[in-house]
Amino acid sequence: MNTAIREKAETTTSLVNPIISSVIRTFESMLNCSAKRISLEVKSGHSPKYPLSAIVGLTGKMSGTIIFSVSNEAALEILSRLVFEQAEEITSEVCDAVGEIANMIAGSAKADLAHLNLILSIPNMVLGENHEVLYPPDVSTPMCIHFDSEIGPFTIEFGFRD
Amino acid sequence: MKVLIVDDSGTMRIIQKRCLNKLGINDIDEGEDGVKGMVQFRANQYDVIFTDWNMPNMDGLEFLKEIRKTNTQVPVIMITTEAEKARVILAVQAGVSDYLVKPFTPDALKEKLEKWVGCHV
Repeated sequence: MNTAIREKAETTTSLVNPIISSVIRTFESMLNCSAKRISLEVKSGHSPKYPLSAIVGLTGKMSGTIIFSVSNEAALEILSRLVFEQAEEITSEVCDAVGEIANMIAGSAKADLAHLNLILSIPNMVLGENHEVLYPPDVSTPMCIHFDSEIGPFTIEFGFRD
Repeated sequence: MKVLIVDDSGTMRIIQKRCLNKLGINDIDEGEDGVKGMVQFRANQYDVIFTDWNMPNMDGLEFLKEIRKTNTQVPVIMITTEAEKARVILAVQAGVSDYLVKPFTPDALKEKLEKWVGCHV
């Protein structure tokens, strides 16, 4: 494996523990909700597991993407727990709340990778059953962490490239 | 007591407003980015300003620098995901008064708000 590819793979792998810690911390602090890692796998296919994706880009010495994928039910519960407001359907307020949680997860995780001088993008939301999110072709081994929580299951996907 | 909250996330503005309301502070203006924050800042006198860092158009660091160019001593508190030492130093050098890293507990937010607005309530 050449140095560049190995470095990308190492960066992706080195994000696993910071992301897990960040998810648990963010869910506890902001949602008063415990989250538990269920499994870790190499990402296959282009569709995130759930119909709402909050996508946060990271740029710096390496660039990458983190995707927070949640069900509609979990998204509604996130809004409810953050601002104590109920929504019956996915609104811009629900998307904003989910995006803010994604922003916090990515921000807290990147703090553990300070040597990469990473900068976060504003979160983008993609909605719809079976929507696809394509990583750039040079992303090395995107990974997916499955979580369970009191608001339901969700996933975090991530991958890095030069 | 007049407070300005600048954050591109409506969710975060609601959370901060609710906390301020519980402290009895209801005179609150909002801005979605640094540009709109500067419009509010130039048109009003604030006792405290809360700002996010990562925002479109003008980010929180630029917003802070623009405020300090006016030589005002108004407290500016950053509430942000930017937790790395190098980023915090940038904010301190630009004149930030205090710093709260997201995610935060409700108590941590309340503590910061009380520290900066409590003495005026």
